[in-house]
Amino acid sequence: MKERTPKNIFVQGAISSAFIADSIQKHSTKTDIGGHSIFLGQVRADEIEGKKVVAIEYTAYEEMALQKMHEIRETVFAEYPLTCMHVYHSLGKVAAGEICLFVFTSSAHRKAATEACSVLVERIKAELPVWGAEILEDETHQWKVNQ
Amino acid sequence: MKILFFGQLVEMIGAKELLIEDMTDIDTLKAFLHQQFPLLAQSKYIIAVDQEMISDNRKLENHNIVALMPPFSGG
Repeated sequence: MKERTPKNIFVQGAISSAFIADSIQKHSTKTDIGGHSIFLGQVRADEIEGKKVVAIEYTAYEEMALQKMHEIRETVFAEYPLTCMHVYHSLGKVAAGEICLFVFTSSAHRKAATEACSVLVERIKAELPVWGAEILEDETHQWKVNQ
Repeated sequence: MKILFFGQLVEMIGAKELLIEDMTDIDTLKAFLHQQFPLLAQSKYIIAVDQEMISDNRKLENHNIVALMPPFSGG
């Protein structure tokens, strides 16, 4: 297998729908692909003790997260016959309703893409040193807990 | 050595990083930090030394970078 160097997955602020559309468009030249699977994480306006979440502010141990993501990428590539894998995670403030995580896998046949996408999302949430502070409407915040 | 803090621990400590010299091992460092920051002793966190997560005690040198990380909540 080809050696892949750690890629930067972090983007400042929300991931725009234009960026996502563009990313899909770029694959039209890769005609060995038969299926894509996309996961989009969106900031939910939860209510915490009567106060609405208006945004999540993400911070990360960036160096370690990129190294960990590199390992995850390698193992998932080794396990599934994927053509492509793209992961983007927000840093900084992302408002409720905006996209904070974009995972995009492609393969010749659908099963590899859908299964790898799901495995990636679970591993990203469990293993990357990233933290989200939920900013409430009164400008206080509380720290997000992953379920 | 450089001690890095993340997430809610940054607020608890009041800094993203501290420089602390001559801590012989993780247990010594933890005891020192817990004494300085009593709230930290009640917090859940894991430790990475030079970006490698560890669960047992281990020797430290001044060139190590130690990270204290609360439970991850990305995505």
